[in-house]
Amino acid sequence: MSTTVQAGDFTAAPTLPDVLPTPKERGKIGGFIYRHPTIVVGGTLVTLMILIAIFAPFLGTKDPTSLAPARRTREPSALYWFGTDMLGRDVYSRVLYGARVSLLVGFSVATCAGIIGTTLGLIAGFTRAFDAVVMRVMDGLMSIPPILLAIALMALTRASVKNVIIAISVAEFPRVCRLVRGVVLSLREQPYVEAAIASGTRVPVIIWKHILPNTLAPLMVQATFICASAMITEATLSFIGAGTPPIVPSWGNIMAEGRALWQVKPYIVFFPAIFLSITVLSVNLLGDGLRDALDPRLAKRL
Amino acid sequence: MRRRDFMRAAALGAATGAMAMPRLGHAADTKVLRFVPQANLANLDPIWTTQYVVRNGSLLIWDMLYGVNDKLEPQPQMVRSHDVSADFKTWTFTLRPGLKFHDGEPVRARDVVASINRWMARDATMGLPIKRRTDALEAVDDATFRFRLNQPYPKMLFALGKSSTPCLFIMPERIAATDPFKQISEYIGSGPMRFKKDEWVPGSMAAFERFAGYVPRDEKASWLSGGKRVNFDRVEWHILPDAATASAALQNNEVDWVETPSPDLVPLLRKSAGVMVDIADPLGNIGSLRVNHLHPPFNNVLARRALQIALSQEDYMRAVVGDDETLWKPVPGYFTPDTPLYTEAGGEPLKGKRDYDAAKKLLAEAGYKGEPVILMVATDVNITKAQGDVTADLLKRIGMNVQYEALDWGTVGQRRAKKDPPGQGGWNIFHTWHAGADCVNPAPYIALDASGDTAWFGWPKSDAVQAKIAAWYDAPDLAAEKTVIADLNRAAMEHVIYLQTGFFKGYQAWRNNLSGIVKAPFPVVWDVTKA
Amino acid sequence: MLAYAIRRIVATIPVVLIVALFVFSLLYIAPGDPAAIIAGDQATPADVERIRASLGLDRPFLVRFFDWLWSVVRGDLGTSIFTNLPVSHMIQQRIEPTLSLMVLTLTLSLSCAIPMGVIAAWKHGTWIDRAVMMTAVFGFSTPVFVIGYLLAYVFALRLDWFPVQGFTSISQGLFPFLRNLILPAVALGLVYMALIARITRATMLDVLSQDYVRTAKAKGVGQRGILFIHSLKNAAVPIVTIVGIGFAALIGGAVVTESVFAIPGLGRLTVDAILRRDYPVIQGVVLLFSCVYVLVNLGVDLLYTVFDPRIRY
Repeated sequence: MSTTVQAGDFTAAPTLPDVLPTPKERGKIGGFIYRHPTIVVGGTLVTLMILIAIFAPFLGTKDPTSLAPARRTREPSALYWFGTDMLGRDVYSRVLYGARVSLLVGFSVATCAGIIGTTLGLIAGFTRAFDAVVMRVMDGLMSIPPILLAIALMALTRASVKNVIIAISVAEFPRVCRLVRGVVLSLREQPYVEAAIASGTRVPVIIWKHILPNTLAPLMVQATFICASAMITEATLSFIGAGTPPIVPSWGNIMAEGRALWQVKPYIVFFPAIFLSITVLSVNLLGDGLRDALDPRLAKRL
Repeated sequence: MRRRDFMRAAALGAATGAMAMPRLGHAADTKVLRFVPQANLANLDPIWTTQYVVRNGSLLIWDMLYGVNDKLEPQPQMVRSHDVSADFKTWTFTLRPGLKFHDGEPVRARDVVASINRWMARDATMGLPIKRRTDALEAVDDATFRFRLNQPYPKMLFALGKSSTPCLFIMPERIAATDPFKQISEYIGSGPMRFKKDEWVPGSMAAFERFAGYVPRDEKASWLSGGKRVNFDRVEWHILPDAATASAALQNNEVDWVETPSPDLVPLLRKSAGVMVDIADPLGNIGSLRVNHLHPPFNNVLARRALQIALSQEDYMRAVVGDDETLWKPVPGYFTPDTPLYTEAGGEPLKGKRDYDAAKKLLAEAGYKGEPVILMVATDVNITKAQGDVTADLLKRIGMNVQYEALDWGTVGQRRAKKDPPGQGGWNIFHTWHAGADCVNPAPYIALDASGDTAWFGWPKSDAVQAKIAAWYDAPDLAAEKTVIADLNRAAMEHVIYLQTGFFKGYQAWRNNLSGIVKAPFPVVWDVTKA
Repeated sequence: MLAYAIRRIVATIPVVLIVALFVFSLLYIAPGDPAAIIAGDQATPADVERIRASLGLDRPFLVRFFDWLWSVVRGDLGTSIFTNLPVSHMIQQRIEPTLSLMVLTLTLSLSCAIPMGVIAAWKHGTWIDRAVMMTAVFGFSTPVFVIGYLLAYVFALRLDWFPVQGFTSISQGLFPFLRNLILPAVALGLVYMALIARITRATMLDVLSQDYVRTAKAKGVGQRGILFIHSLKNAAVPIVTIVGIGFAALIGGAVVTESVFAIPGLGRLTVDAILRRDYPVIQGVVLLFSCVYVLVNLGVDLLYTVFDPRIRY
């Protein structure tokens, strides 16, 4: 479910206190996996999903939109690995192609929200006057539950993947803005930044050389959580009929259409649900791991 | 804090434990009928809209002058007796005594006259022809009213009592005075039940309460005729968002009667103890792909014929009702299969192998250059959604640019009334279905009418078809009727009034403690009892 | 303390105004003619003109905004283009089920999540900790409706412990009320529970690693009781913060849960409204929920002073 709070908020795993036993293994790949299991597991699964999405046409799929009512609601079999839905379309193909939409929405939203939020956050961090206005506005935007904001925006436009991306991005960018502004504000106090400003370095250069590198880490972490949240929001929007158009297979759509039959043919809802859950889970894990690895203290600033 | 949490959790556990004991029967009041209708009841004006769900609700609230029985023969309902001149030009009717509206007012002839006027303005197949030949329709006294026609109309009783929409419901004069093209806002009738407007939660629930002042006729009820004896104090319409929820609710005895269970869930319902499933109406339904004759591309008959030779009724029917072949059959004609006037004359384009290339050629000849085709699909009704998806696929196969608009049935019902060009809020295609009872002959058949402006949505215009319809009215016997109908069918197929997606039957499902459920084109509540 | 409260309340007002401004201006930001959007699909050109006139699009934006705001404050949220009923009336009809669902979900989630988080923190590093955290991550990775259908299938259809759908008002008895709402509350609350458990664990870990705790442990003071109460009180601020912020997840989740379990609440109203593009209803519901969200977070802010007297902004 979409949340204004992503998985990473305030859930800092603090540095282990001395009273607890220290891990035995050090160094080597095994050590990396031991120390950062979440990154490895999360990263692997996400990569797997991306590969599946990209190479969908070559993974034994048929045309995901071609109907064949004569073959409707067939159970999973050797011919139809995930069975067919109520219009005879191959569920396996639809799920694999659906990965494209969900991943596209997830990554696009993360990117858009990231770019817009960073830009606004940088401006807010550096310009006092603008800061007050922007932060009030961000507070206001964040006070509207994101799914409702997305619904309201979708109600005003036609259903399309592009509009879904825009709608969800609008709901998600305020947090990025807040985050970046926070980093900017705290970094401005640092001596080397003050020195740079005093010595006349222009602001864009300061941003490029000092601020941005420091925002990268928390941004990356935040981006993964936004990605996960966006994927669930898209699925929810499609489920209630306000998301991607029915012609485009997305996990949310497939589940929405299959819900009428879940008592007798649960696989139509089951398979996209599994894929969606695994993908979101792995992105969340990746984010968790990144946050723990990069700097646990960062989490406190998020 | 921990202990409090623990106590709360323990209490909850104990509570759920208690509830988890035997399979609880759900306490159901035998005087309340919980019904799940085929769609959401978005408005309640049965003259303004022809949607079946509105008519079905209206059957409870309003009464009719005549009512058809299960043989589609009109029988007197509100009328006590009638008198007709030998030339079928003068019809005099006398109302039954004791008819009362829900607000206490007696039903007077002038209420009837106002209601008939409003209905005639919207009923293209029978009401308008009657209106055109009416010299005078007046209330002679409080209990009598008279038609003076300048041309004979032998089928007057059928017109007054037909079940096809819009039905002639009798409303108080002040409500019937509403412009026929605007919706009424008061729901006062003289039917067996009162509408509880204060309890109406659009999209969720509607409630009807028994009207104590209703005096049913003595005869046994049969469809819309006879004594409408309602054995419930209250009828609740629960609008359930999807088929799975409705089916599960029926299995769990949370509702008593589901009008249109999903065919895929019927095997599950059949196995469920306490649930009965049966065909809802042996006269079945004809699925419809309704095109807009006013605007391109389908204002050109060649484009319409392209659809005819490309569409596969089997695809549509399987999508709508599933694999059970006893439930559907192709219908290469416009009239209900297994009825006397059924014909396949002229139905060749719908038979045989589908030809996408020929369809593409026809489209090119018709001048189609890739303009978007607006396909309105009501996604909340299984029948229309399945048809809509198959059509979207069909249009793609013949190279048309589909713009799939996912709407709900209520919105489709309102938007299909717009004659604007598709790009400006209009439409090119929408789907619906017609009860077999409404397609047995041209009289109740609103969808076949080709009078252009006054025709049903889509506004087909064909003088040839209209001539044949008029000829049918004058046919002296069944043999003559059949000849005319064959010609009519040919003309209608050539002009492509609308595209039939197939003939199918639906199920209805109810709890086995209900008795008296009959097979009919609409849910019949009278004479149903709950044990 | 009172001064702090007043300051917080006053600070909320500009936020509410901005929310209202957003909700109001969404209509004008989107492509298309605002009058046509409000008039809806079934309107004739004459209707659209009439609505355009009533919108007063020739007047300056701020004037229109304050006009609208004034009507809203007086309870007039416009008229549904679909049912022609006032939006406030439609909302009123549907508020009880949603409110009941929210309250029950909050109660259930908090009473499970906080103990879960505390236990995970206490048993940090053991399998219990991992198990709790894994459950939590699963909790907010699966969409609410999937959990809902799963629960309905197992507990309502197969075991027949609970009804599949519907809502019974509490005025008709506590047991029927709970029976209808338990499954939706659990489905809805799982995500929330996951969030709260995680934050509870993290903050407890933080607090437990503080010096004074280690000192207390070293001194061997009656550990469990006093330690937990003190630690929890200090951990309360972040936890309560997330309780407030995560409320948005509840609101969003309610939309879907009500669809799955056919609860006639505001969530379903929203879903129906969006299918029909019934914009006035959507606008009304979004405004209402946002204000509720702002109030909840205001409540959280005020609650801080109870847990941590040091907090003063």
